[in-house]
Amino acid sequence: MKLQCLGKQLFNSSANLPRIQLSSPMEAHLWYIIPSEVQSQSLLNQYAEILSPCEKEIVFEMRDEELRKRALLARALVRTTIARYQINSHVSPRSLKFIKNVHGKPEVDWQHCEQWRPLPLHFNISHTSSLIACGVTVDSPIGIDVEKKNRRLKHNVMSFAQRYFSKHEVQVLSAISDPQLQLQEFIKLWTLKEAYVKALGRGFSDAPFKTFTIRIRSATKGSFAGNSNFEASEIVVDSFDDSMDLTSDWKFVLMDLAGSHYAAICTKKDSSIQGIQITPTKLTVWKTIPFVHDECVSGTAAVVIISG
Amino acid sequence: MASITGSFTSLSCSLMPNQAVNRVSKLGSVSLSISGKSFPSLRVQPARFRVSCAAKPETVDKVCKIVRKQLALPDESEVAGHSKFASLGADSLDTVEIVMGLEEEFGISVEEESAQNIATVQDAADLIEKLIENKGA
Repeated sequence: MKLQCLGKQLFNSSANLPRIQLSSPMEAHLWYIIPSEVQSQSLLNQYAEILSPCEKEIVFEMRDEELRKRALLARALVRTTIARYQINSHVSPRSLKFIKNVHGKPEVDWQHCEQWRPLPLHFNISHTSSLIACGVTVDSPIGIDVEKKNRRLKHNVMSFAQRYFSKHEVQVLSAISDPQLQLQEFIKLWTLKEAYVKALGRGFSDAPFKTFTIRIRSATKGSFAGNSNFEASEIVVDSFDDSMDLTSDWKFVLMDLAGSHYAAICTKKDSSIQGIQITPTKLTVWKTIPFVHDECVSGTAAVVIISG
Repeated sequence: MASITGSFTSLSCSLMPNQAVNRVSKLGSVSLSISGKSFPSLRVQPARFRVSCAAKPETVDKVCKIVRKQLALPDESEVAGHSKFASLGADSLDTVEIVMGLEEEFGISVEEESAQNIATVQDAADLIEKLIENKGA
């Protein structure tokens, strides 16, 4: 697992978003924002300014103030993040257009750029009440999911798992006797499954959770199940209907993010690389308040890779 | 696999974060907007002609109650048939838990595909009534 920290970058200019490079399909970038850290009304107004009329409508139709703020931050995060990777100065957060693919997955609409070939950027977003994240890749589909580590379920974990997870996953979970640990493993599995389905981008009805298994397996001997501190582990997905998905094409990263959340990222392997050797994703993570402050947190306590 | 949408505007305008699903319209409406492409193997629900497609108010109320409980919403917050789960702050895990709650309350079994396609309280209530009806048939 390669991590590279580019150091702290502080920017006070509202007009600029520092440009970032993303050139390899084996790289993934993750940007996240903590809603409670954004309190300034004028900053929120700035974010509202970069939204499309349609997005503004959706955001402001929400009655609840917290939900409205969350929706606003999510759209602002997506727009500012994508804009960072554009070398062409004509692209600003506000000028970006989005469409949904045939299955409903949001994508950037590059059709409006006639004079230049844009970077084939893919993105995916996920949010909880206390953290919103946007993952970006080039030339590879991406799916991400974040969940609070201390999330409580209304239902019993095992009855939930039996209803929605695959047989193997249920077996793995039922082998964990400590209820706290069991819940944690459940949440990790959930984020991985969500990330996978979102990366596939074909809608949930195409890959119901019960039809595939995600397992975290150790790549080196000597590790034992339940101990998530082993040096090298990989996350694999097996589908019962392998004809569509070629499940060996997908790779995962699971991490403990900001001490408070589990985050899973699913991307497609570079098809030009053959062989059984797993090429780890080079992941860089930033904590951001767009237009105000960006901080690279890879290699710090804010990002603890669990697997992948 | 292509999906059916109820209206074109919902395809281009609804950009809720964390939503990767195309919402399926109610039974009976069959407008297809798939960027001009045709899909011969499209799965289409047979049109069902009913005098009223909307669920009973009591069903909607029960769904609202379950949603409130799952999302721990304050009493004064508005939850009605038209309320979208995402707008109420439900993420995918909440939605699945709500469906489980509905299954328990109504004694039905919701297929995962249908569960993921529920966007509003009304969608849930309509689906419940359809499943109850099928159960009795």
